[in-house]
Amino acid sequence: MTVDALTPWPDTVEWRPVSPKLITVELIVRWSWSVIVVAGLVVGLVLQGHWLWWLGIGLVLANAIWRSFVTVRAVRAWGYAERDQDLLVRHGLLVRRLSIVPYARMQFVDVTAGPLERAFGLATVQLHTAAAASDARIPGLPPAEAARLRDRLTALGEDRAEGL
Amino acid sequence: MTTTDPAGTTVDEPRRRLHPLSPVLHGAKSIAVIVAALSWQTLSQVGVERFALVVLVVAVGVVVFSIVGWLTTGYQVVGRELRISDGVVWRRNRAIPLERLQTVELRRPLLAQLTGLAELRLEVIGGGKTEAPLAYLTVREATALRERLLALAGRTQSEAEPATEGPAAPALERPLVRVSNRDLVVSQLLTPQAFFLPLGVAFVVLQFVLEGSWTFVGIASTVTAMAGVLLQPVRRVLQDWDFRLARDPEGRLAVRYGLLETRNQVVPLNRVQAVGATWPLLWRGQGWLHLRLDIAGNAGEPGGDSKRSDRLLPVGDFATARGLVWEVLPGVDLAALATSPPPRRARWLNPISLRSLGVGFTPEVFVSRWGLLTREMHLVPYARLQSVRVVQGPLQRRLGLATVYADTARGRAGQAKDRDLAEAWALAAELASRARKARKPEEPLKDEAYWQKP
Repeated sequence: MTVDALTPWPDTVEWRPVSPKLITVELIVRWSWSVIVVAGLVVGLVLQGHWLWWLGIGLVLANAIWRSFVTVRAVRAWGYAERDQDLLVRHGLLVRRLSIVPYARMQFVDVTAGPLERAFGLATVQLHTAAAASDARIPGLPPAEAARLRDRLTALGEDRAEGL
Repeated sequence: MTTTDPAGTTVDEPRRRLHPLSPVLHGAKSIAVIVAALSWQTLSQVGVERFALVVLVVAVGVVVFSIVGWLTTGYQVVGRELRISDGVVWRRNRAIPLERLQTVELRRPLLAQLTGLAELRLEVIGGGKTEAPLAYLTVREATALRERLLALAGRTQSEAEPATEGPAAPALERPLVRVSNRDLVVSQLLTPQAFFLPLGVAFVVLQFVLEGSWTFVGIASTVTAMAGVLLQPVRRVLQDWDFRLARDPEGRLAVRYGLLETRNQVVPLNRVQAVGATWPLLWRGQGWLHLRLDIAGNAGEPGGDSKRSDRLLPVGDFATARGLVWEVLPGVDLAALATSPPPRRARWLNPISLRSLGVGFTPEVFVSRWGLLTREMHLVPYARLQSVRVVQGPLQRRLGLATVYADTARGRAGQAKDRDLAEAWALAAELASRARKARKPEEPLKDEAYWQKP
């Protein structure tokens, strides 16, 4: 039997991916930071002209390219699944995490969307329990799916409400 | 004022004030602080009369402010809510839903003990800090209010108002444990701080003897450092002095302790999130251990660990602890908790402490233990599990290991460190299903149509 850290119980659980558009959003964020840093380095280069500035630029760009590949894989690693009693969320590449949060333990649901996420029609749903450590955050959901999930979670949460 | 509570009965509940002496008590604290801030330096600069005048003016100001504060502070019980309004400049009205009440604590600082008053502190889930300290009430009022709040918090909405409102007779309580003060002092002497103290003193004395100079600053700083080191054990002794634990007639835990500030906490058993046991290295000779209660809402006050009221047993032998754990988590026998260790290859990650790691299931709780020198054990009842997490770091992936966390609303999560990956999935699935089963009895009424109703 093969066991993969990211896909437990492959026969009973139907994992759903997050929207691939999240890759674009993450890449834009990552590259805009890199561009700012590179711009700063270029200014330094123009003013001083030392070869170390070239090295800095090279490192930043290499890092950005490397991180872009990681981002693509990281976004593909996000996944969630709704079971009868609980919500499963998995994510992470280097450190792989899976959270199992029963609907009955839900305290509240957050739906957030930053300006960039909105521009791409994405939203983040986060389920909060009384434990600060439970981490059930699903980014990169289309608004319709986010709303459906939110409504379903609240309905199930109310239905099975106990909280503590 | 007449209000209607959710049960439909009409309750006549006047808005009540705190005890008239409370502004004086509050004021006394502030005045002490202010005088200390003004310090001797000011005294020598301005002369005694001026200083006295300043202190008097400040004192009058503080008392007037406190009195205004007292006049604007009030509380009332409306239905299943406690409403508190306070604040002079920023008015604040809070409604505390009593079903979220976790514990109620009655604190009596020194001044309050002298005047026969008490402070009532409510711990509510979700509050970052202790919600609503009602300071001060007479002990009788406070006890009565506590009984009432707990009774309201404990019953379901359909039940009627309880007939009796008076405080329960203490005679009916069933005492469980009394920690002898001798054991407490000995246990605090057996802490690293107390052990290092003679060494520290010897070192300093030696240094002074060798250098042959006894400067005032040197001695003062040494004394300060010593006091700092000793502060925690001394504070522990003062706080846990005369520790008593009892079951009250309703089956709740009643905890009393403290010397300068006595605390009296009532914890409903279904509010216990987890129980932790600690065997410090230096206590092993005595076979002693320490038990901790995790209760949601006993939020981390500044000052951390020592300020928190979460002791189940400050120090005790194994037999006592075993009896206590059985009381708090019925059916759990501390002596019969079998745990299984992680696989051998986990020694790459825990070269020394591998043997001390372990997890186990009993019908009631999830057991995890760790720690080589200070052995610790953590018991989480399945019914209190908030979520289950499986985490695998890069090194763990190499070795095919993963860590499973069982999160509770408060305190540290139960954790199964470095288990085989397949076993970790099995553990997580098992935890989730046991938690679901444990919750079941507490889920009445919910037929499918319930939440679809308008």
